[in-house]
Amino acid sequence: MNAIKTNFLTKTYGSTSVVNGISLVVEKGEIFGFLGRNGAGKSTFINMLTGITHPTSGSFSLLGINGPNERIKKHIGVMPDYSTLFNSMSAIKHLKFLSSLSGASVSDTDCEHILKLVGLENSGKKKVSKFSFGMKKKLGIAQAIVHNPSLIFLDEPTSGLDAESVLHIHKLINSLQQQGKTIFMTSHNLNEVEKICTTIAIMKDGNIVKSGTMDELRAFYRSTITIELKHDLIPPSEAQKLDAWLETVGSELQKTSSSTTITVSSEQKIAEIIRAFTHCQVNILRVGVSELSLEEMFLAE
Amino acid sequence: MIAIGKKEFIDMFKNIKSIIIIALLLITSYFSAKYSSILGTVISLTEQEMTDAYTVGLVFLLVFFGQLFVTSLSHDTINKESHERTMRFLVTRTSRLQILFGKFSGVWLFWFSCTFISFLLISIYSSQFHLLIFSQAIALLTFQIALTTFLSVTIPKPSITMFLGVLIGLLSPILGFWFVLTNNVWISWLKFASPYYYLTENNYLFLVVFGLAGILLTAASLIFKGREF
Repeated sequence: MNAIKTNFLTKTYGSTSVVNGISLVVEKGEIFGFLGRNGAGKSTFINMLTGITHPTSGSFSLLGINGPNERIKKHIGVMPDYSTLFNSMSAIKHLKFLSSLSGASVSDTDCEHILKLVGLENSGKKKVSKFSFGMKKKLGIAQAIVHNPSLIFLDEPTSGLDAESVLHIHKLINSLQQQGKTIFMTSHNLNEVEKICTTIAIMKDGNIVKSGTMDELRAFYRSTITIELKHDLIPPSEAQKLDAWLETVGSELQKTSSSTTITVSSEQKIAEIIRAFTHCQVNILRVGVSELSLEEMFLAE
Repeated sequence: MIAIGKKEFIDMFKNIKSIIIIALLLITSYFSAKYSSILGTVISLTEQEMTDAYTVGLVFLLVFFGQLFVTSLSHDTINKESHERTMRFLVTRTSRLQILFGKFSGVWLFWFSCTFISFLLISIYSSQFHLLIFSQAIALLTFQIALTTFLSVTIPKPSITMFLGVLIGLLSPILGFWFVLTNNVWISWLKFASPYYYLTENNYLFLVVFGLAGILLTAASLIFKGREF
């Protein structure tokens, strides 16, 4: 059973198509990262799945239940974007009120535990109006998981948080995945998505232009691995032969007397290049390897 | 629905406006009942006239200012949540119908409690609970709350419902009684849409007012179902 399955899901406002017939499958237990520039349609897509907006056409199912369906709601947790919390309530009251709407009954101790998980220990009795932006963000995540949902939607969960809090939330998302939950998140932080998401989709102008695991995406973008070698001087008798050979195994060759940078398409080529330098009796002082980052892939789109 | 209704009910008491209105209802009920009982000892009145005398203060307030009171306290019961986007937390967890009826029931329970306490206060002086008048008052309040909920669903901006609420609150008793009392055939048919028409007789016709409230709530729920947040 898929956690999320959409079939040509479309949202239009007048003549403007915001989400353009997206068909997508998210497997159970994945951390699915949804990437795209502002206005790409990410939030609208989440809003349709979670009942905030209505699809213009197409269909979807969550956890095997065809949507929109009220039965789904108690199994999903949602942290919507740009949402304000109930300022007059304390954090604990907030969690108790919202979980009761999902049909779950949680005690004060349960709430304290959830608040500790998101890094809000000792803030349970404080009114939300006295919370900082970061604390509100964390409470937003807490309310999405308080009723123990199987599928969690997080819209920009770490934007505006300090580095320590971001790490804390990453650990929490990973532990939720280990508990068998599916997480569907959007983010502008490409490093974050690259680090914690198992599957990624890149959205542009209402369409998914590419999706897959990081490895699959790298393969799609020709899996470019850049090798930077620091080495001793290459004997002149070997230099020309070595350059000619390097041109055949890789591209974008850049050389100085003590360094060589080349882009190759597979990891096996790294060993071949090191063997070639050793064969030419050139001492290698340092090897640097960098793969195509998600940011570069994202910018390619 | 219960959680939303409970929150709405408790939130109503946190508002200074509601404290003033509760005080106004109770003071009016107390003094009108007290002076009516004195009046009963001075001049001879029939049983019906005595009942009317005891409840006249409270009924006057509810008939002429009830809509104003209800809209001033609850004009933003739905659209404030949409405007501040807290509605997103509600719609992702429960059905829109439950949200609407939860809100309505919270407000209704507040007014039911206030009116019930006021009638209890009157019953201390009159030595009886005026059930028919109480039921008519609740029917009128139910209609007024349904109208306010309908406005709050239909109009997304709280500032506009505040303005419209005051306008409707002031105009509705005037127009309502005009529709009931006028002989102009082009206007008098409108009395059937006015709750006041069904409250002028001391019989069970007041039950129709609950039907009018039901129509407004059904319309509100249909509009609310299509709303996006």
